[in-house]
Amino acid sequence: MNSITQEIYDGIVNGQSPVVGQKVQEALDSGMSPVVILNEGMIAAMAEVGKRFECGEYFVPEMLIAARAMQTGLALLKPHLQQSDLQSKGKVVIGTVKGDLHDIGKNLVGMMLEGAGFEIVDLGTDVSPEKFVTAAREHHGALVAMSALLTTTMPNMKTTIEALNAAGLRGQVKVLVGGAPVTENYARQISADGYAPDASRAVALAKSLV
Amino acid sequence: MNHRERVLTALHHESPDRCPMQVSFTPEFAERLRADLRLKGTALHNPHGGGNTYDLERALQEDMLLTSVGWANSYYQEPLTYTDEWGIGWKSIEYNTPFGPGRYTEIASHPLADIQAIETYTPPDPARPELYIEAERVVREYKDEFWIVGVTVTTVFECAWALRGYERLMTDMALDPDLANRIMEFPFQFHLAAARRLVELGVDMIWIGDDVGAQNAMLISPSMWRNYFKPRMATFISELKGINPLIKVAYHSDGNIYPIIPDLIEIGLDVLNPIQPACMDPARLKREFGDRLCFWGSIDEQYTLPFGTPQSVRGEVLERLQTFGKNGGLILGPTHHVQLDTPLENFWAMVNTITRTPYLSDS
Repeated sequence: MNSITQEIYDGIVNGQSPVVGQKVQEALDSGMSPVVILNEGMIAAMAEVGKRFECGEYFVPEMLIAARAMQTGLALLKPHLQQSDLQSKGKVVIGTVKGDLHDIGKNLVGMMLEGAGFEIVDLGTDVSPEKFVTAAREHHGALVAMSALLTTTMPNMKTTIEALNAAGLRGQVKVLVGGAPVTENYARQISADGYAPDASRAVALAKSLV
Repeated sequence: MNHRERVLTALHHESPDRCPMQVSFTPEFAERLRADLRLKGTALHNPHGGGNTYDLERALQEDMLLTSVGWANSYYQEPLTYTDEWGIGWKSIEYNTPFGPGRYTEIASHPLADIQAIETYTPPDPARPELYIEAERVVREYKDEFWIVGVTVTTVFECAWALRGYERLMTDMALDPDLANRIMEFPFQFHLAAARRLVELGVDMIWIGDDVGAQNAMLISPSMWRNYFKPRMATFISELKGINPLIKVAYHSDGNIYPIIPDLIEIGLDVLNPIQPACMDPARLKREFGDRLCFWGSIDEQYTLPFGTPQSVRGEVLERLQTFGKNGGLILGPTHHVQLDTPLENFWAMVNTITRTPYLSDS
């Protein structure tokens, strides 16, 4: 890694949004390949952030500021990336299930997936099964990721999977679930394709499902 | 042994006749329970205690009664949308359970979302006498018989993030500590003044705290908690004990907060709540901290109560009594307000096992 990609990497890991913006601009001005900036500076940095979160060194605030720094860099980088450069890891339709407005977990998963090179379609919170179905149909082949914080709303994960079934889409989409009351066991019970206990592990899970 | 003596004995790390119990419910579950008990009463139930009639608590033979002053009372208001006295906007969201629909009140807007607003922001005044009318009544009518808890939860962090926005406040905490501290002072000063007044009025325990734990780890780092919250909680505890040295202080945080338990003990905490068993192992906490700390809660609301069976609920209560509650030091109850998805059979299995199991029984 050369010094400027290292600075971008460090800026993201340390959550320094202005530094990342400045260094990405400098890198672009110097003629550096946007793909190199993206892969070596940014995606690698978010992987490190995920690792630090998993091992208990980073917590939610550190992840939030790292993701913010990444997004600053990404906004500058995107106009310079060709469609073919992007080589998206895949698309993820993500949302908090119907009746549930809690979004911090869903947002962190979205940020980490974006940082790993996935394209995110964020449906927000209180997302009905029909909305998930429509989005899954529109974004053909996307993963569907659902979040719930409450035991009273968690059953809507099952309802959504049934709706995907009824729409004939279940064979085409993989479903990921997560959230405080959700367990591996529950994921199996409702025939989800995977469960992750946190945002960092959701990335590994999504990678294994595409 | 009356309710009050039962709690006091347990908090002295001694075994009462049976384990003390405290249970709260969402308004919808309270309504269902009221019908099951054939109790009259139509007032909207406030699970934190504010405006509560205490008829359900007394019918269940609960040992503690809660009376609340502060931002936590903004939850579960009647209108579908409202703005509370802090300027925080709320909306309702419906959910469905096998036992019918319910609604949660959720935060919809934040008066300090824009940094500039902080310059002109005035928090509510905690010195208004009308805030304490209910507490005065509860102490007057029930203190001889029950353990009275003054509730000032959502003490700093939760009210501060409602003022500023969740992700915004956590970003401030990482990048702009001065700003984060300025915002936190609003709820801290309000709730401290309220708690002081509640202690002066004669409550037995003050319940403080904020959710700083997630399911598997803390939301914020232990060092960030030590930086922002430990000094404030230490001030809280020492000021309250300065008014009444016998006052007990309980601290609430959902989730896993294992790393900061020694800090809480160090600043003089008496009781930790709610101990979600899926997040922290109660038996381990008892082994490591049980000689210096009492516990309150611990009956699982994420699986056992809503999705378990009466047998599994009974089993969990008995297991807690034998481990977590060994030699006292425990007030049993659900980790959160009992939710509408809980079968009444499970609820009664919890209540009846707690109230009908003599403490020294081998069962």
